[in-house]
Amino acid sequence: MRNKQLFYGILVILALLLAACGGATQAPVEAPAVEEPAAEEPAAEEPAAEEPAAEEPAGEVVLNMGMQGKPDTLNPAYAFLTESYTVFDLIYSPLTTEAPTGEYVGGLAKEWSVSEDGLTWTFTLKDNIKWHNGEALTADQVAWAIDAVIADPDGWAAMSGYVGGFSEVTAPDDKTVQVVTESPIANMEYRLSFLYAVYPPDFEVFTTPEDLQNFTNFEAIGTGPFKINTFDKDTGVLILDANADYFDGAPKLDRVIMQTFDNADAMIQALKVGDIDLINELPASAFTTVQGYEGVSTISYPGRYFNELIINSVDPANDPAPTGNPALADPAVRLAIETAINRQDIVDIVLQGLATVGDTIVPPTLGGGFWHNPNIQRVEFNLEEASRILEEAGYVAGSDGVRTKDDMRLEFRLQFPSDNTVYPRMADMIADWFNQAGMKVNPEAVDPDALVAATTPAGDYDLVLWGWGPDPDPDFILSVMTTDQFVDGGWSDSGYHNPEYDQMYLDQQLLVDDKERQAVIWEMQEMVYSDRPYIVLYYENLLQAYRSDRFTGFVESPLGIEIGLSMINVEPVQ
Amino acid sequence: MNRRDYLLRKFGLSLVTILVVVIINFLLFRVLPGDPVRSVIGRNVRISAETQKALREQFGLDKPVFPDQFFDTLGQWARGNLGISWSLRRPVSEILISKLGNTLLLIGLGQILAIIFGVLLGLLAGWKRKTAIDVGALTFSLIAWAIPTFWLGIILLAAGSTWLGLPTGGIVSPANTGKPLHTVIPDLARHLILPTLTLTILYLGEYMLIMRSSILEVLSEDYILTAKAKGMSHWQVLRKHALKNAMLPIVTLIALNLGFTVSGAIYIETVFSYDGLGKLFQTALTKQDYPLLQGAFLLLAISVIVANMIADLLYTYLDPRIKAT
Repeated sequence: MRNKQLFYGILVILALLLAACGGATQAPVEAPAVEEPAAEEPAAEEPAAEEPAAEEPAGEVVLNMGMQGKPDTLNPAYAFLTESYTVFDLIYSPLTTEAPTGEYVGGLAKEWSVSEDGLTWTFTLKDNIKWHNGEALTADQVAWAIDAVIADPDGWAAMSGYVGGFSEVTAPDDKTVQVVTESPIANMEYRLSFLYAVYPPDFEVFTTPEDLQNFTNFEAIGTGPFKINTFDKDTGVLILDANADYFDGAPKLDRVIMQTFDNADAMIQALKVGDIDLINELPASAFTTVQGYEGVSTISYPGRYFNELIINSVDPANDPAPTGNPALADPAVRLAIETAINRQDIVDIVLQGLATVGDTIVPPTLGGGFWHNPNIQRVEFNLEEASRILEEAGYVAGSDGVRTKDDMRLEFRLQFPSDNTVYPRMADMIADWFNQAGMKVNPEAVDPDALVAATTPAGDYDLVLWGWGPDPDPDFILSVMTTDQFVDGGWSDSGYHNPEYDQMYLDQQLLVDDKERQAVIWEMQEMVYSDRPYIVLYYENLLQAYRSDRFTGFVESPLGIEIGLSMINVEPVQ
Repeated sequence: MNRRDYLLRKFGLSLVTILVVVIINFLLFRVLPGDPVRSVIGRNVRISAETQKALREQFGLDKPVFPDQFFDTLGQWARGNLGISWSLRRPVSEILISKLGNTLLLIGLGQILAIIFGVLLGLLAGWKRKTAIDVGALTFSLIAWAIPTFWLGIILLAAGSTWLGLPTGGIVSPANTGKPLHTVIPDLARHLILPTLTLTILYLGEYMLIMRSSILEVLSEDYILTAKAKGMSHWQVLRKHALKNAMLPIVTLIALNLGFTVSGAIYIETVFSYDGLGKLFQTALTKQDYPLLQGAFLLLAISVIVANMIADLLYTYLDPRIKAT
């Protein structure tokens, strides 16, 4: 009978469901019995999980770090995410490396010098450098790793920017590496700090750029203070063991485990209950909460990121023609705009004090403060003054309070990327100030990709709120203001075009003498500040937190407490 | 029309649907604003315009969308190759398979528990209509159905990790990373408790409400009255006459839910840092990783269509009134 069949069918389904349910409910019941060993972090290769794991300091010293992203790859040729670079800094060594003070110190190199003509750099390697697999590192291998980038810039997409102007790298003897360049290179130490010595046998086999980039290098062999034990490409969990043979001394930690949280609240909860010991990027919104946690220390340290108001500065002759309000070309309007922005209020109210007021595109943290021009006279916030400037320049308020001059009306689009929670509040504050000075702005959140398309190289905007995370060397952030960069795929969004500035940018690249280079760079900052393609609003603080009841010895700097030079100092609290 | 023809026709229609989905997906992602190369490399890395150009060529983005990119993609798929993810630099099929297992585990468990408890609760509420049990179950289900996923997840996470010492995220403890899942079942189970509980609560309400209204409807039918008049016990009436008829809407719901299951519970996977398909979809979309997006949506489309097909077929078995036409 049909109905009978049906009934048995349902019974079978229900029985299956019940069986599956039984399996499901059983597992959690089982769990508490084995909870102890599972909850701790016993050595990954130690099968003896039966003993109740002791508190960490007694056995292995393991530091757990929580991150909000995971490395995209461990292949430096094609790594773009900051998480990858956090790992590289721990497992690889470049010839030179940036110290927490902002100076460059030796990584693999013990000492170095540059020839009179500035074209040949000679590096002497430190002694007893070993790869993680125990082999000794040779100067040939270091030279090979950099030459590979020079030979295949497309394949080494993420590193090729650092070898521009290099002609060749050689190893005259077993302890010496020589870099020969076409013209003098001012920021050689900085560039080398990103040219990691990769293990040649792993990389020599690739014949096409694509093959090289598809190599994920999850078992990377380096020479850094930590070596890879396990990397789970799917979850992003990375287990690093201390490298006892590290040439600058073995780390005091036995192991570092990095794990990824997709949700910031969960990550903070993990820090609170002690599942993790370190958060290298703490969201500003959570900072005060985390400050109140017992056994946790927070760090708010001036960092490298800055946020700016971009004013459309695109050449009207540009193709396609920019659509910016022509009044923005008037220096008086630009001055009035800056005068009508209260940076201190933005820092205090929107950022809850976790930032400092900004002025130039070179943040005070680059090079330990060496590159930032401290002499810039910042325009003070004064709404009456802003009105007066506009009045004097001939902009008269109409019946709706918005000033006009001829057919130019001071009404602007104010766009910002929609993936940021800070900008909407800033935009509202700015709209209010501008309104009081007789300017109208229409804030609008825009998809970040659409915003890239609208700015570069279309120039289809008036004002934009956005931010930058400059490289340690000022060269990159200075290049953002050059005319050449206002092309498809370029980094200029303001469309600033100043031949004098462009020339100075090229000049500073050749000045191997830091003092001379500093003078040019200070002048370039002055120039950008007074032309106002960008109004730099503030420099963001770097926010981090760690379990201070467990670990001590971190080195605080704009580079973060998770860099290699800090982590080799970290030790458990006694 | 006999069953074989019916099945063939269904199957053929499903194939056509999948093809349409494929074409729409291909075009849809390409009209999104933005530049995939920029999305992959981010904003703050020092990549010259030339390097970006080289990457664009490598990805085939320098060619026109139609016909070049379109037929390249179709040709690749015809050879059973879903391509290589631009952002993760691994074969798309390999990535999808690795996440599919995790998602099926989590959602499967959650759905099964939700179905069982939801159906039982619905039956009980319907049977004991207008009693305190009914009102209680109804209130609970309505609340459970209406709670925002994200909120419930984070509350359970905070409570579970603080008071019960349950893990704050992931599938296994970092120390067990890389080991085959069946060797670390207790650890896996501890990690599954909170996300499964969240999922169960969220779906339970829906099943309960449908079951309750369905059983109420059935119980008001004349044949139930007849059965009672014949002197059958409550339990016999429920088991022999009411239950199977009341299950019909639930079967539909289960089949539909299972189809969407493969898209993963994006919110739950995000709250619990659970490495599944839902998270993958999100990453692929933010990175504008076309090969990954296309592969993921193909999988999603196939699973929804297959689930619907199963629902249709089950229906013809469950309800003799529906002819296979």
